[in-house]
Amino acid sequence: MAHRHDPNDGGEFQSPALERLVRGLSRLPGLGRKSATRIALHLVAKESPAAELVEAVNEAREQVRNCSRCGAITEPDPCRICTSERRDPSQLCVVASPVDVLPFEKAGFFRGRYFVLGGLLSPLDGVRADDLPFDRLASRIDEDGVAEIIIALDASVEGETTALYVQRLFEGRDLRLSRLATGIPVGGALAYTDEVTLQRAFQFRRGF
Amino acid sequence: MQIRSARISGFRNLQETRFDFSSRVNVVVGRNGEGKTNLLEALNYFALGRSHRGARNDELIAFDAEALHVELGVVEESGAELACEYGLGRNNGRRFRLDGEALRRRADLVGRLATVFFNPDSIRLVRGSPQRRRHFVDQGIAEIDPSYLVHLTAFQRALKQKTGLLRDVRHGAVDGRRIRDDLEAWNREIATHAAVVCRERGAYANLMTPFADAAHRELAGDEETLRVVYRPRLETAAARVFTEDDAGAPGNPLETPSRTPSEGNPPEAEKPGEIGSLEQDIFKELSYIVGSEIQRGRPLNGPQMDDFEVRLSGSPDEGGEAPGLDLRTYGSQGETRSAAIALILARSDVLHRRRQVRPVLFLDDIFSELDRERTRRLQNMAIRAHQVFVATARPDDLGDWRPADLCAWRVDGGAFTQVKDPTAPL
Repeated sequence: MAHRHDPNDGGEFQSPALERLVRGLSRLPGLGRKSATRIALHLVAKESPAAELVEAVNEAREQVRNCSRCGAITEPDPCRICTSERRDPSQLCVVASPVDVLPFEKAGFFRGRYFVLGGLLSPLDGVRADDLPFDRLASRIDEDGVAEIIIALDASVEGETTALYVQRLFEGRDLRLSRLATGIPVGGALAYTDEVTLQRAFQFRRGF
Repeated sequence: MQIRSARISGFRNLQETRFDFSSRVNVVVGRNGEGKTNLLEALNYFALGRSHRGARNDELIAFDAEALHVELGVVEESGAELACEYGLGRNNGRRFRLDGEALRRRADLVGRLATVFFNPDSIRLVRGSPQRRRHFVDQGIAEIDPSYLVHLTAFQRALKQKTGLLRDVRHGAVDGRRIRDDLEAWNREIATHAAVVCRERGAYANLMTPFADAAHRELAGDEETLRVVYRPRLETAAARVFTEDDAGAPGNPLETPSRTPSEGNPPEAEKPGEIGSLEQDIFKELSYIVGSEIQRGRPLNGPQMDDFEVRLSGSPDEGGEAPGLDLRTYGSQGETRSAAIALILARSDVLHRRRQVRPVLFLDDIFSELDRERTRRLQNMAIRAHQVFVATARPDDLGDWRPADLCAWRVDGGAFTQVKDPTAPL
């Protein structure tokens, strides 16, 4: 039997306050009602970390911002990557969202800088070229003397189209434009590679 | 490919049953509504990854059951045995298993169990909408080349985005002059995939034409020539994949003979650079109409408007070189039915030619749509290469058809009884 979750009578908890908390938590990414309930009960228990959490959330909200130059998540603005002398300003990696910076930084091989678009072209989600910061990207290229743009966008229809747009936008300039390759994952078994990835890997095969 | 056995539980009105099928011909007789089509649907579900009738889980699961489960014993061409299982739950859960191992993506299912399904609806293939023919051909291509689906899906997704963009203009949400760069990017992405779609559709029409023609000659018992001709809406695609000089005036029965070779479309070029330049040509053609698209607020050209002609021309001594009659418009009831069946059988032949796979053939209530002569010919053609499942409400339609290795069942209220003589009155 399914429970009724009427906020007015407090749902299954006999507590409208708890019901409200569970609902709020279950709206967070990756949390279903079950996990939300577990967390909520933990938060209202005697030894609750709630006060510290609230403080941490507020502080993070105060301190964390998007870098005004590249759009990455940062505390100092501009971010350390944008201001670091050790990063090569001539290489600019264009990504869709701030989280896409993280795997690059974790791997640590890339010594250039980033530019976060904050989205991909997708009219069905109301995103057109006007809504993405391409003019800021252009001035960034001029200011920093960028010589190479590496487009690192999703291999989806929206990602491909956005990549095509960026390419078209800068193709007349004295710039190297490149895109991430697609292919067989390192350590991956050939036999379990899907047909399309395999086809691409074959199409863009390299000489020794 | 053969389905040797099935264990079915919780599927619509079918009582829990274990079947051992004939490797050649299986016949189910029963009145309408007793469960004939349900059995074929249960057998075909694994092949498609969905119901051929488009039914939801809830409709497929027996009213008194929480879930359904079907296990098929399949034998491949190589003689290898395959256990194909699927289960559906009321909470929209779906599980597919192959030899006990769960399949994670629906794409992994494609082509594992190949089937061809005929019912009275499928014989509208020739007379029906262009969308029906595009879908038929697209499915046929995907059977022999799964990567085609990726391009088709990407094309459809990009087209949907473009349609959304133009809709915003039409509704005044955005100024048409401000989206030209957006449109250009979408057109470029569309062209990438449209080039593959157009090229593959043209190649498939060529590939299937000789098979369709042979099947049609045998089925109709005459010497007329049947051709499947790809008619892309994009002119650049038409010029590339179809270069006959009579590209205009489709369907004009008064066209003078002698202008078109009867061999179907010319073979498509296989040069490596072909796709690249077709892509550029399509992009140019789409760019050319951007202004009108903005004005009209919707996409005006592309593979989403393609069609396939099905042409029938007379025997050589009465002008067999003629482009022939376009059956989509001018075919009689009987002609379009025979042509549709020939096309569907041709799809099986193409699959066999390219992948060495013979699909299992389902004939659901199809004989009542054909005259006796054609029924008998179809029966003989069907069993020559395929394992066949026949469902019929009128045992009379089987006539004196008694192929070897025939297994027959009667179904009443979802309960199956094996019978010796399928033509005994119900």
